[in-house]
Amino acid sequence: MSRHVMETDLALYAAGDLPVWRGAVVKFHVRGCAECRALVEALRVDRQELRRSADNMPANVDWDQLAAEMTANIRVGLAAGECVTPRERKIAAVSWRPMAIAAGLVVLLAGAWWLNVPRTDTETIGRALRNIATGQRAASPQEERGPVVGASSTGVELIENGGRMGIDQGGLEPVMFSVSTQGSASARYVDQNTGQVTITATYVQ
Amino acid sequence: MFNKFIVAVSVASAISLHGQALNHKIDFPKDSPVSLLSEDFGNSNATARGANLIDVNAALSLRNSGQKRIRSMTLMVSTPDAAGKGSVSVPTLDAGPGETFSVHISTRLVRPLTAGNPVVEVTLDGVLFDDLSFYGPDLLHSQRNMIRWELEAQRDRKYFKTLLAAGGPEGLRKEMLSSLARQGDSSQRGVQMVRGRATNIDAEPESQFAFLDIPESPVEASGGMARIGTNLAGAPRFEVRNRSPRAVQHLEISWIVKDQQGREFLAASMPADMKLAPNQSGQVAQDAALRFDRPISIQGMSGFVSSVEFADGSQWIPSRGALDQTRLRQLVAPSPEEQRLSQIYTRKGIQALIDELKKF
Repeated sequence: MSRHVMETDLALYAAGDLPVWRGAVVKFHVRGCAECRALVEALRVDRQELRRSADNMPANVDWDQLAAEMTANIRVGLAAGECVTPRERKIAAVSWRPMAIAAGLVVLLAGAWWLNVPRTDTETIGRALRNIATGQRAASPQEERGPVVGASSTGVELIENGGRMGIDQGGLEPVMFSVSTQGSASARYVDQNTGQVTITATYVQ
Repeated sequence: MFNKFIVAVSVASAISLHGQALNHKIDFPKDSPVSLLSEDFGNSNATARGANLIDVNAALSLRNSGQKRIRSMTLMVSTPDAAGKGSVSVPTLDAGPGETFSVHISTRLVRPLTAGNPVVEVTLDGVLFDDLSFYGPDLLHSQRNMIRWELEAQRDRKYFKTLLAAGGPEGLRKEMLSSLARQGDSSQRGVQMVRGRATNIDAEPESQFAFLDIPESPVEASGGMARIGTNLAGAPRFEVRNRSPRAVQHLEISWIVKDQQGREFLAASMPADMKLAPNQSGQVAQDAALRFDRPISIQGMSGFVSSVEFADGSQWIPSRGALDQTRLRQLVAPSPEEQRLSQIYTRKGIQALIDELKKF
């Protein structure tokens, strides 16, 4: 015989676990091959030895507990292995649903701000944040404490106690405007069609 | 679930932004020389956005129901809980008894959200007649301004009539063109006035304040000082002396600022209530600061006395001759009447202007 039978087939043959046809082929080979026959004999001796050892086990072994302890030991071993092996970064799968919820919340917050916070407060907060970012001194927030009257090409305006009063003349641009130190601002308009002059003003109370 | 949430937010937003019809109240006293013919608050509304945004767009048609000619009128616009008061004045009227005129009000107010519908009140603050008599509660101290506008109107009409008599239509035309050129050249800057101890102006260096002397002025101003900061000028103080034989109760100084390019512009007016007997001096110190809307490096400041009110209520204003100084001519805005007359010239020509000057 030029080729030996595989060792796994010999082990199955020794235990009587090979199918009939394959078992016959191996039996034929083992009869003519001293080396394989010796191996089969050695395997049979080992089986008998194991059976004897099993007979020596305590009678009341809790196999479930034993299995649980073994599982726990395996997990401890795996965890210890993770500690000493560099971990690969896992990339979380991106799902559209959390993104949509986050975008919705942003829209909701922006809408709530727009609906509920007066523009003056938004401007004040923006100015304060800009001052923090640019490191400017806190002059501007202090200046907002007093009543302010203003006059410009957009008309006159009074800002006081969080309230605001602006007066223009329906989109007309004033021909002149001014403020006074007693707390008033005025703007003068000339109607191009009628020539009528109108002066609007705001006053600190 | 998420879709329901979005729909709820959208509905809430739509409800919040829906403009409410605006309640308004026009209240003229029973004995008022002006009566309301009709009102149109068509585009006025109130919108809730954190606060009540109240847009008032109203056109009022009024009639002179008194016996005197009306030269000017001031209406006060206010709403409960809103900041301050507003006014709309018509300074160049000439409405005889029974004649009608219109006033347009375009105002945006912001007031805190409170229970109940927002209400806008339009009340009469004052009416000035051609004999300088006055009617009204004058809550906004508008009488002083209205008398000054009328004095300026009388001064300028007299000046143009004199020009017409001396130089004919061509002389008047030349002056009108000059006036229109000045109106086009005027440079103004957006400016805010902050009142009270609300600024850091006290930390800024103090600079001297020069005054342009108008020899005919009953009050002389001198010794001006003010603090100058970045885009800021404030805490002005100066001395005044009454050099007229009449007691003074109020005066107004025009405040001129020069920028880094050497350009001068009228930055603000400084009114002061103070009683000065003849030859008496006094000090004026104002707790306010000017803040400019564009960066400016203030190179200098100056001022001049622009009006004085005597104890009997009569007023002094600079004459046309005094305003012909080159500096003042460039700085002082034309009166409302001069602007109205130049508008008539622009739209209708020299003959329409001559006809207008002949009216009174």
